[in-house]
Amino acid sequence: MSETTPSIQSPSITAVRDLREASCGPIGAPAVTNDLSENVILTSLDDLHNWARLSSLWPLLYGTACCFIEFAALIGSRFDFDRFGLVPRSSPRQADLLIVAGTVTMKMAPALVRLYEQMPEPKYVIAMGACTITGGMFSADSTTAVRGVDKLIPVDLYLPGCPPRPEAIFDAVIKLRKKVGDESLAERRKHQQTHRYFTVSHRMKRVEAQVTGSYLRADSQRAALAAAPEGQLLATDAAVLTPVADAVDS
Amino acid sequence: MSETPTTPPKDDSSSLAAAQPGPVSTWLTQQGFEHDHLDPDHSGIEQIGVDAAVLPIIAAALKSHGFDYLQCHGGYDEGPGQHLVCFYHLLAMREQVQAMAAGEESTLREVRLKVFLTREGTPTLPSIYGLFRGADWQERETFDMFGIQFEGHPHPKRLLMPEDWKGWPLRKDYIQPDFYEMQDAY
Repeated sequence: MSETTPSIQSPSITAVRDLREASCGPIGAPAVTNDLSENVILTSLDDLHNWARLSSLWPLLYGTACCFIEFAALIGSRFDFDRFGLVPRSSPRQADLLIVAGTVTMKMAPALVRLYEQMPEPKYVIAMGACTITGGMFSADSTTAVRGVDKLIPVDLYLPGCPPRPEAIFDAVIKLRKKVGDESLAERRKHQQTHRYFTVSHRMKRVEAQVTGSYLRADSQRAALAAAPEGQLLATDAAVLTPVADAVDS
Repeated sequence: MSETPTTPPKDDSSSLAAAQPGPVSTWLTQQGFEHDHLDPDHSGIEQIGVDAAVLPIIAAALKSHGFDYLQCHGGYDEGPGQHLVCFYHLLAMREQVQAMAAGEESTLREVRLKVFLTREGTPTLPSIYGLFRGADWQERETFDMFGIQFEGHPHPKRLLMPEDWKGWPLRKDYIQPDFYEMQDAY
């Protein structure tokens, strides 16, 4: 066999045909088999499915700090992550990859979890940068930084750096593609993240939220404007004091 | 903001060290508003000390006198056992704009009101939101950082810190609570 194999790395289609001609005896290569093997790909459903998914990992446009500057560089033509099939999506419902770029604070945490929950399965998370892995430089004394997003959402891949360079993000994406390529439909959901940190049950009491969202419509707002000194009302205050009856709802 | 106000002189005879009252202080005296004139700051801006109770009255008087723009409101802590101070920096914006539009020579009139509050209990002073709408968030921040209550404020709640935060972070006697996230047990 070896002396008939052309010594080039990837045989061209003519080389493959030559090989078949040479190895199929005097009858020659059967035409039907030849046509089939040139035009039909035989694979497992898993492989096909994985190939489709890993070739179109659509990341959510999510960024909270300097890591996103590096991530945003990928969108441009210099690094061009479209060649990996990464198309940035602005809606979590269209995304299947969440690259958590930047520090996550406790104020941001519920929003991040909600974004993750709204992404359709199967979904992947890359924790990008030191802040999202351990809290990074905020881990010592910050009052608000979340020490690692894997406490909020399961993380598939940790990408260290502060911030990681765009090439490192490529490396992470390639590694994630390998992970996606290894998966099996039958085993989906069998691998779950373990409980990886120590917790105690809290003894906090639920209280009324102070931030209610009714800023201009708050009673205290109207009271403050009504108490404004004589001649100090502005034209814009009228809309607050006498709001148009909720016509917006209809 | 480390300046300490000179104890305001009660009568003019003992005020050799204090500067002469500036134009705003003179005008307030003419109108019969009780106030203390303080030393001007390093850039020569007139400073006036007022009592918390009369702050809205004097601010309203100054607004009608031309000081129609609250450039800045904030607070600072003088130090252990001393006052918490609220300041209001007022500009006479409209007359300056009119003078510039007319091409006249004029200098912007500025004045800074200061309210010295005792740190015992809950320091309280009236909100001037009715006079200057821009005071909304600035007073909220002063409340957030120094625990100074503004009576009549439309939204008396914290601005920057989490709403359930305890303590007033920019007071000099503030000690940050031992913040320990169970997450640190990594």
